[in-house]
Amino acid sequence: MQQLSNRHLLGIKDLTENDIQLILETADNFKEVINRPIKKVPSLRDVTIANIFFENSTRTKLSFELAQKRLSADIINFAASSSSVSKGETLIDTVNNILAMKVDMIVMRHPYAGAGIFLSKHINAQIINAGDGAHEHPTQALLDAFSIRQKYGDVAGKKVVIVGDILHSRVALSNILCLQKLGAEVMVCGPTTLMPRYIKELGVKVEHNLRKALNWCDVANMLRIQLERFEIKYFPSIREYSMMYGLNKQILDSLDKEITIMHPGPINRGVEITSDVADSKQSIILEQVENGVAVRMAVMYLLASQYPLV
Amino acid sequence: MKFLIKSATIVDPNSSFNGQVKDILIDKGQIVQIDSEIEAKGAELYDATGQFVSPGWMDMHANFGDPGLETKEDINSGCAAAAAGGFTAVAVMPNTNPPLHSKSEIEYLKNRAKGQAVDVFPIGSLSVKREGVDIAELYDMTQSGAVAFSDGNKPVQNAGLMMRSLQYALAFNGLVISYAEDASIAEKAKVNEGVTSTYLGMKGIPNMAEELMVARDIFLAEYTGGKIHFTTVSTAGSVELIRAARKKGLQVTADVAAHHLLLDDSVLMGFDSNYKVKPPLRSQHDIKALKAGLKEGVIDAVVSQHTPHEIEFKDQEFETSAFGISSLETTYAVFNMACEKVLALEEMVDALAISPREILNLEIPVVDLNKKANITIFDPDHKWTLASENIRSKSKNTPFIGKELKGKAFAIFNNGQLKIN
Repeated sequence: MQQLSNRHLLGIKDLTENDIQLILETADNFKEVINRPIKKVPSLRDVTIANIFFENSTRTKLSFELAQKRLSADIINFAASSSSVSKGETLIDTVNNILAMKVDMIVMRHPYAGAGIFLSKHINAQIINAGDGAHEHPTQALLDAFSIRQKYGDVAGKKVVIVGDILHSRVALSNILCLQKLGAEVMVCGPTTLMPRYIKELGVKVEHNLRKALNWCDVANMLRIQLERFEIKYFPSIREYSMMYGLNKQILDSLDKEITIMHPGPINRGVEITSDVADSKQSIILEQVENGVAVRMAVMYLLASQYPLV
Repeated sequence: MKFLIKSATIVDPNSSFNGQVKDILIDKGQIVQIDSEIEAKGAELYDATGQFVSPGWMDMHANFGDPGLETKEDINSGCAAAAAGGFTAVAVMPNTNPPLHSKSEIEYLKNRAKGQAVDVFPIGSLSVKREGVDIAELYDMTQSGAVAFSDGNKPVQNAGLMMRSLQYALAFNGLVISYAEDASIAEKAKVNEGVTSTYLGMKGIPNMAEELMVARDIFLAEYTGGKIHFTTVSTAGSVELIRAARKKGLQVTADVAAHHLLLDDSVLMGFDSNYKVKPPLRSQHDIKALKAGLKEGVIDAVVSQHTPHEIEFKDQEFETSAFGISSLETTYAVFNMACEKVLALEEMVDALAISPREILNLEIPVVDLNKKANITIFDPDHKWTLASENIRSKSKNTPFIGKELKGKAFAIFNNGQLKIN
């Protein structure tokens, strides 16, 4: 059996195309498993995984937890807002305290870019990055690729546009890297103030007109506008954002072709996407959620079975 | 006490012995004889065969933590680090607690530094409490020994304060040092804006954040007729602005930190906080312009921007870790490696020893007869590896541990003391 090239999953950047294909193929098997009457397999029995979330998350955490349960892993959950940690204990101390209780693997979400990479230099356990600042969110990108592959049979040659706040988005960066490694063409679309100045250097197309972007693509991945993250205003109002970048049924129906709509959730209905689009036949948003469990099972299974645990 | 330095090559444009290999005899801190094959019974001997002797170097931008932050660096450890780096003088920024913002802190520092081989020159805070609001007692601090004024690592956002400081200092020929960054553009970004920041998922500090402020301060210098010095300029655009200002005849000078000449932002791809500095490491394009600026004399001096931090401040997530490198001991090697193909030895000595003192209006040491012995002994070709246990600074926040470096200062002599590494 093939092996992943790294014992952690810190970002898509470190993965080879073979790594990604291996994860997607393994996820195929687990997707079959979770649709059986008995959804649980003993693959990670006696493996203990800590889900450490320094930032709020509902669905990513739920998805990881469910994936762990389906694999028969033992789970502990640790939630701490970054502020409570900044009151004293360092990240390394927090994690080492958890590891001292004999934990094999860490799934971590953290508000700062590179936190997983930093941690990997200081601790022994395997680490899965469940989102670090605006850097990477590798399992989201993998499940998005899995969902596109499921819909079209292959990711290579597909045109994918990522719409929204590219500047603050870890989903965007991981998606760009993952889709490119699989041979897709990627465009980013959003307000000029929410576009990294050097994004073109990553080999993506940049478009500021939503209709043009949609006419170009096969798949549109609509990012959540995360107003709560902004300390300063990058656009005047949600209303104006919707006017320029909100996807509604009228625009969707006016396109020459039938494109596929994705969203990493949670959806702001009526902001980046209207209800009738989210619930339309073109939307694969709920498939993404289902696939997320299979993909996360694949990642944890591959890492735990291919590399020695601490 | 006599000291005899054997067979040193003298590099000093102001010396009649420039370029010659000579023995140098020092007695009571003065150079009393320069000749071939001097014999001196009882003198302490230093064999400098194959090594160079220049006027003692001066670092015009270092941060010590005295007073208040002595766990980072106190006067003794800071001077030891400076001596190990080949510096016989340092100007220290007012980034202390309390800041060096009145006569008492300036006098405290001057007193603490008495008896050191390394001369310590305080840079007074431009504003009261270094808050960037009200002008501090610049004249009183000058009388006590402050050599220039700056808010240290807090760029002055208030144009009016900067203008009035430049005007006010005119009366006593005071120098204002600008650390240029527009905070509303830089925001809370921690790295250079570029391809690297895009891959890191981090917001970037555009070059423009610095250049806007350089442009503003040049306008203010022109309007007031004051003297301004830009410290740690990092961008090609800043070099261009300063070049234009000097062409106009304005009293504008500048320095660059050695690390900005050697490293570009691509070293940040692994999120190593030891490379986290401010201004951030920039691009190869900027590096090229900075070197050209030095060669041309648009940038006058090279500085350490020595910023010591305890390990707890650096060994954390990149985002929250402190800015700065504990750099006094590697500044020369880093500068040498960056610029050995661009600058002649004499030009390097100028940037390290002569220009800083010219800018700060201090006496320039000369390696010549009947002059005070204030010298640095060094070898630009010597290769060495920085080991953590050999670092004299209290703080070891440097990316150069374990790396091979080229160029080393072996000893300094100043204030009657020989300090050998």
